[in-house]
Amino acid sequence: MNLGISATEFVSQAKEGAISVEEFIAKTLERIKQVEDKVHAFITVDSQNALAKAKDIDKKIRSKEKIGSCFGMPVSIKDNICAAGLKTTCASKMLENFVAPYDATVISRLKNEDAIIIGKVNLDEFAMGSTTEFSYFGTSRNPWNPQYVPGGSSGGSGVSVSALECVASLGSDTGGSVRSPASFCSVVGLKPTYGLISRYGLVSYANSIEQIGPMARTVEDVAFLLNIISGHDSHDNTTINNPQVDYLKDLKSGISGKKIGIISQMIGEGIDKEVASATNMAISKLQDLGAECIPISLDAVEHSVAAYYTIASAEASSNLSRYDNLRYGFNFGTEGYEFKAYVAKARSNFGPEVTRRMLLGAYVLSAGYYGKYYLKAQKVRAMIKAQLDEAFKKVDFLISPTMPILPFKIGEKIDDPLKLYLTDINTVTANLSGIPAISVPFAISSSGLPIGIQLFANSFEENKLLQAAYVLQETTDLPEVPL
Amino acid sequence: MVEKKEIEHLGDLVKVELKDPEKYIKQVEQIIHYFDRLDTVEFNSDDTLRREVDAENLRDDKYEPYGMSLIDHLNKDQNNFIRAPKMV
Repeated sequence: MNLGISATEFVSQAKEGAISVEEFIAKTLERIKQVEDKVHAFITVDSQNALAKAKDIDKKIRSKEKIGSCFGMPVSIKDNICAAGLKTTCASKMLENFVAPYDATVISRLKNEDAIIIGKVNLDEFAMGSTTEFSYFGTSRNPWNPQYVPGGSSGGSGVSVSALECVASLGSDTGGSVRSPASFCSVVGLKPTYGLISRYGLVSYANSIEQIGPMARTVEDVAFLLNIISGHDSHDNTTINNPQVDYLKDLKSGISGKKIGIISQMIGEGIDKEVASATNMAISKLQDLGAECIPISLDAVEHSVAAYYTIASAEASSNLSRYDNLRYGFNFGTEGYEFKAYVAKARSNFGPEVTRRMLLGAYVLSAGYYGKYYLKAQKVRAMIKAQLDEAFKKVDFLISPTMPILPFKIGEKIDDPLKLYLTDINTVTANLSGIPAISVPFAISSSGLPIGIQLFANSFEENKLLQAAYVLQETTDLPEVPL
Repeated sequence: MVEKKEIEHLGDLVKVELKDPEKYIKQVEQIIHYFDRLDTVEFNSDDTLRREVDAENLRDDKYEPYGMSLIDHLNKDQNNFIRAPKMV
């Protein structure tokens, strides 16, 4: 049985009865047992429920009952998205015992379509980080070389899809957290337009910029998942009530006659040579297929990392103030403590990156600094959006490498937070402006590490974006993961 | 220049007992110094990115009773009370 099939292949084989869902789930659980020591993608594996659900779906298939469009497809979920009855730890000691009492909207939509939630996967604590090294439960490892980081913060999602421990995954993307692990693990990852997917049940980190995003082995699979999880939700007032789109319908429309802008600020200085050459190769392949590529300058991008970390830290500092360990949290009795001392003591169990961001957030919001940092960051955000609006008058898409560098060794940058922040230079623009962006696996470096290419489109143009991503995917023939 | 006193004050603001405030001084200072580049941006507009939502499109502000499952998930004693430390 091939566990490396795509979601769409899985669905068609399960529908025809060519594979037994129970057998597929059992084999997937076996695979998880076999590779977890090497890659550590999962925080929770829900074996029993997954198998029971698979049996139930097989029975329905045999008796020709109505079945949801996922046909028992195993999906992993980033552990900051609530699934009822399962722990939602956010990879933090603060929530190590927290069991979600309800399903996030994306989870109930997946369950309605008979997807099987196989488990909850690792992340940087509260999604703050770009390597998963800041997880309380230990770092995830890159299936392409376990000495290297898998990217993050949705590292467990990227690893579990890449290492064939599930067919697809949901991550969340606040500053590149879906696209970074997609690029580093050689899978497809989409950060949708702000407001396309409900955030109800996603543990808040920076509400004004984050979105849940699908990760899978092919662009078709990402389109398939988007069909299920996107759309208006009365529980999240930031979702937009647009007519429902079928993202699979015109996926193979091609790219002929389309214009692509190459973002000058994302392909210049500081970029790894092999990443640059892969990007140029991608551009030339798209040109061969009829796209016109022109350089586009977005000078506000140079200020994007400073603006992004100012805004994200400010929102994080505010959101995380709710964790006082009283109503839920880890085991730590209140005996002998005065209120404030107890809360401060309990909260000293946040990890170093979360603590750093809360301190930064408090700093940029404090009296006297608000105008100097936060307000200016918000103005940069508007400037980026204005420049993108201008760019999209001239071009249909924008292109850049997803990450400016190759995956790096675990531990290499952990003591230099600013250096880590700067690796987000190509991804944060989509979050600050709200536009969609996708990372497509494109090449493998001479050292055997994946390189992803990023495409952007204007807000709510996921349909077009996925068409372009599909074209790019079809220009490549990448090796299987060596695990 | 970020000083130890300032880091301790920030720790107090975010209600975290910092085990090793010294550790954060250099890092926070370095990052804030990087944020200072926002001073060099030449803005030709005071716009900030905002999205307006009509009040009529907000969901109704109505009472929805919570389910017992929420209570089940709380850290509570046998009498369904949550134990909090003394306020002094």
